[in-house]
Formats: sequence, C-alpha cells, structure tokens
Amino acid sequence: MTEVRLPGHALCPGCGGAIAERIIYNTINETIGKDKVIHYGGGVCASGGMRNAELSSFGLHLSGQATGSTGISHALKVRNRTDIKVIEFGGDGGTCDIGFAKISGAAERNENILHFTMDNEAYMNTGIQKSSQTPWGAWTTTTPIGRHDNFKKDMVMIMAYHFIPYVASASIAYPADLKNKVKKALDMEGFRYIHVFAPCPTGWRHDSAKTVEIARLAVQSGMFNLVEVDNGNVKISVKPKERLPVAEYLGYQRRFRHLTEEQTKTIQKYSDNSWERLLSLDGTLIRPHTN
Amino acid sequence: MPSQSNRDGKRGIIGGNNMSKRMLLDGNHAAAWSARLAKAQVIPIYPITPQTECCTQLSEFVEHGEMPWASYVTPESEHAVMGIACGASAGGARVFTSSAAQGVVFMEENIWIAAGNRLPIVMCIVNRAIANPGSLRPDCNDSLLQRDAGWIQLYCEDAQDALDTGIQMFKICEDERVYLPGIFAFEGYVVGHCAIPVELPDPEEVDDFLPPYKHKFISLDPELRKYTTTTTPRRGEFGTERVYQMQVAMENAKKVIKEVNEDYAKRFGRKYGNGLIEKYRCEDADALLITMGSITGTARKIVDDLREEGEPIGLVKLRSFRPFPTEDLREAVKGVKAVGFVDRNRSPGSSGGGIGRIETANALYSLTEKPLLLGFFVGLVGRDVMPGDVRFIAEKVLKAAETGKAEKDTYWVQLKGEEI
Repeated sequence: MTEVRLPGHALCPGCGGAIAERIIYNTINETIGKDKVIHYGGGVCASGGMRNAELSSFGLHLSGQATGSTGISHALKVRNRTDIKVIEFGGDGGTCDIGFAKISGAAERNENILHFTMDNEAYMNTGIQKSSQTPWGAWTTTTPIGRHDNFKKDMVMIMAYHFIPYVASASIAYPADLKNKVKKALDMEGFRYIHVFAPCPTGWRHDSAKTVEIARLAVQSGMFNLVEVDNGNVKISVKPKERLPVAEYLGYQRRFRHLTEEQTKTIQKYSDNSWERLLSLDGTLIRPHTN
Repeated sequence: MPSQSNRDGKRGIIGGNNMSKRMLLDGNHAAAWSARLAKAQVIPIYPITPQTECCTQLSEFVEHGEMPWASYVTPESEHAVMGIACGASAGGARVFTSSAAQGVVFMEENIWIAAGNRLPIVMCIVNRAIANPGSLRPDCNDSLLQRDAGWIQLYCEDAQDALDTGIQMFKICEDERVYLPGIFAFEGYVVGHCAIPVELPDPEEVDDFLPPYKHKFISLDPELRKYTTTTTPRRGEFGTERVYQMQVAMENAKKVIKEVNEDYAKRFGRKYGNGLIEKYRCEDADALLITMGSITGTARKIVDDLREEGEPIGLVKLRSFRPFPTEDLREAVKGVKAVGFVDRNRSPGSSGGGIGRIETANALYSLTEKPLLLGFFVGLVGRDVMPGDVRFIAEKVLKAAETGKAEKDTYWVQLKGEEI
C-alpha cells in the first residue's frame, strides 16, 4: 500500500488521530488518487498531522472550519475542475465548538465538501482543555474535578438533522468500517460528515500502546456508537454481541480515575440510554422527503 | 472617443461607438457593478447595513444569469465570508466581497490571514461607525482598523470613484509585484446611498484592461503541488522575511497604483490625481487641507470659496491610505506653512489626533522644513459634515499658516459643549 503520510509525524506516540488520518488518506488515495484531492483544514492537534501528508493542502486558523474548503470548492466549480474533490479535517474543538456555526452553515448550504472530525474529546493541542465533546465526568485542565455540566454533544444527530446526504461516526478500532464509510462518502456529492473517534494517550492519560484497544472498548461499552445516516436512513454500523460495562472502558484512562461508584453508575445509565435511543432510530428515515 | 471627466465639474459626454453607458447608481450599486465588470468569480458576502444593497445587487446579477461565470455564496457570518474568500482565492478564483463596521471587525482574524497568504481578494468596505458608540451612519474606523493587516486601502468620494476604483483594485492586487488583498472604501449613505450618474465602461474594454486571474505563485491544483503553499501554523522560521516581503509589496504598490491609474485614464478617460493623492488648487498654497473620502467634495467647494476670497489654500485628497503616499505628501507640502488633516475616525489616547494625522506626522517628521500640522476630528459616529464644518477647519489652518503658530494640535470640530 502506498503511504500518503510521510514517515514520522509531529503528534504524540500512540495518537489515535494519526492512525485515523493514515487510514483515511490511504483510502482516498486508493479510491480516487491523492492527485485528485485538495485537503483543507487542521485536524487532530491543530493540523499537526497534515504537515506530513503528501497532499495539496491549505489551512486557515482552526476556527475557519468549512469556510476555506467552501471557497476552494467554489473556485473549482467556476474553474470547471470538479474532478478534484475537497476534503476537510477538523478537531472536535474546531468542528463542534469554535467552528460550529461554519460547519452548520456549510451543511445548510450543502457545500460539496467531505468533512472529517477527529474527535479526541478535548482541546489537546493547547494542553487538554474541555470541549463540547468531553464526556461527562472526565478530567481536563479546565474541568479539574471532572466535567459535570453536561453530556457530550451528539454531533452525528446534529449533523443528520441538517438533512445532508451523508453522516457517519467511525472509529480507528474498526478500520474496515471506517474505510467503507470514506469510500461511500467520496462517491457522493454535497456536504458529507464523518465523525471519527480518536483516543489521545496524552490527554486521556492512558498507555500509548492501548489506543486501539480503548477505541474498541468505547464502542463495546456504548460510550461511542458507530452509526451512519445515509440520505436520512439511520443504520447502526456495529452492534456489539455483548455490551461491556463502561467501568472497563473508564478504568484504562486516568482522566476518569477520580470517579466515585455513583458517578460511574451515572455514566453507565447515560451509555444505556444512548444505546436504547439509537436502537429506536435504527432503520428509520429521519429526513423529510418530497416524493 | 472615450469620455473625459475632470474634477472641475465638467464631465464629458459619451461619444463614439464604445459600449459604455451611463446609469444612475449609488455607491453600493457601483461597487456591485465594479465586481461584475471585473468578472469576479466567487462572491461570498453577508449583508450588513449600509452595505446590503451591494450584497443584494450581486445576488440579482448572478441569479438572473448576468454573471454566468460567478458563484455567489451566502455564508452564515462575516467570519465565514473571509474564510471562504481565502479558500476561493487560493483555489484560483477572482474573489470579491464587501462589508461594514461590525462585519469587518468580525472578519478580522481571516483578514490578516488573507494578506499574509498574499491572496489578492478585493473587498469593498462601506464605512459605518463601529459600535460603541456606534451608528448605522459612517465614520472610517472599520476600514482603518485594517491599517496594519497588509491590505491595500483606497478611499472613494462618490459612486463613480467607487466603480472605477473597484475595477482598478483587482488590477492592482493581482499585479505580481503586489499580490496583496485590497480594500476600496467609501462612506455609507453619504456615498453608499447617494445616487449620481455613473459612467460604466464597456465590458469588453474592461476585459482587455483586466485579464483573467491567475496567481503566479499560489496554486492548490494537486497536479501543480510543488507550488502549493500550506498555511498551517509553523514555527515561523521565515516569518520576518514574509513580513518584509509584504512591506516590499506595499512599496511596489505605490508604483503599480500610479501605473494602473494612468492606464485606466488612457482607456476610460477618468483619472484620480496621480493614483495615490489628488491635488486640488495647491499652487502657491500656504495652507493645505488633507481629506479622505466624501469630505473631499465638500472641501473642494470650500477651497473654491476661499480662493475666491483670495486665501492661499489648497486641498489634497488622500486616495491611498495603504500604501501611505509618504513621498507624494512630502512633495505636496513643499513651501506650505500649515497642513490640516480632516480625520473621520477615532483613536482615543493616540500620540495626537486621528489616524490620518498620526500617519501624516510620521510621514513629514524627517523633513527639515516642515509645516505646522493640525488635526481635526469631524463627522464621528455618523455625524454629517457640513460645509460650515469644513470652512471652520480651513480657517483654522489658514490662521496657523498666517501666524506661524497653531493654537492646538487637534480640534474637536463638532463637539457639543465645551472641551474639558
């Protein structure tokens, strides 16, 4: 397999984002070729990853999600170069917080962009500060006794209710699923959104050898569910045969080590309810149609 | 035979067989026409009073198929507008946008990125006072706020000026000696909503004047990837050098603006001084007013009146604020005893006066024989500037020239109540 990423990267050892980017870049290269794509934006740790990618790339500050890419996409349109695809990377901070209005705007206009969110559940580049994707109870440097204000914002459903062509969540622990979703999205037009779960050993305080294992546990315990919304049709991508208790997932990460038994129970309930809610949506059409 | 138009009030009649035409346009519509005639390709734009008509006129042009080459984008905020503008320009398209006041302030982050990336985006700023104290009506702080960002800034005094400067701006910014973004600005309502007969040049002649956009150094096309620029945060190894290059580009722009002004005059018959400044009745003047934008028209009338009364006063219209025409101003003040800068902007706590006076003082400082320099705050937060206000200013400058002494460095011309 040809590697689009050059050897070595500026990210931490065991970075989930680096793994995700590698899978995504290579899938794009295999599918349409790296010479048919323009890469916009940052991604995990304020574009730490894209510096090493052999891709034509452009970036603004991380608050500019879905704007530079919109511009590039329109430039290609007026220049009749729609053979070139525009992909975009953003972190969870850039996408779900500071660039949220722009993501929403681009989705509402159905810009021709494929967006990837690298979700490591906090602002990691500046040193582990809370984001809207930080799970309830987790330690960060701005939630020193754990996040207790609210639960993680559900970006997949928020984007799905923009009624864009394609929305999916994916995980580095399920590379085949991730690849399929990338391929599917590449084949479509309009605004496509893929939310990728990418553990951060530095910020989550876990063993850097356990990145993939933890990502898998997140899915198996219902802390991050893999789903796709294809033209409004909701489908759960991975249904664990046996759902594991969240305690196992939490136990690997020192960002959760302060949790009381009571608090762990709260997270278990959150996970159970999220799963039930998702099951009730599975197989339904949430997009209004006109036919 | 192209029409001739001079600032002495004689505008020529369109003759010959060229396809130029005359329309009743205000500043907003003239700016929209400049983008249409310049064949702007990507137009991300967000409405804000008093710029809205420019925004809606362009959407009509595109929707009605009159700009089939263009893509009109309706982003959710001005911050997104400038981000999209940067992406589109880097992606190889000619980009136009416009904004005002809070909108410009909201764009601020990406405004600096546009200049630092050397993307020749053209933006029309329809001046409006920044809140607070804010107003829908004009002062010039919204565009002057971009003083240090690396954008070219030209100021227009009426709708015709706006149309011509808009077209010229693309040519200036896209010159490979420059490659900087550019602002052309005029005051909302006073120019923005004041309709005058405007001569629109023949579209084909504009095409000839302004060839299609192609950046020599920046391309995101993957097949040209060796020329790609990435703008992700780096350690800044060449930061100083990149800023220096922007300074060089600004110096080059002085020459380019003059050239473009000459070229435009040859083709279309309208000329704006030497491009950087426009001198009016400056011969043997002891006193000189310096104005920007619409106040120039009022000042021209006052200078006429005073000249009639035998007063040795002249006027310089500062058309280019960035690059600041230091050399031209030094030349213009030769033999002049007192200069008054008419500032429609604020800078509380400054070294003395408004932004125009600060810049002019710096430009003239190294002269061995320099005139007195008086600053005048006028027209702030949308207050109308009346002929009486300008006459008051002119008389203060004349008095300083006569006595060789300025009563004060700066005057608050329209202040209600006493100065504290």
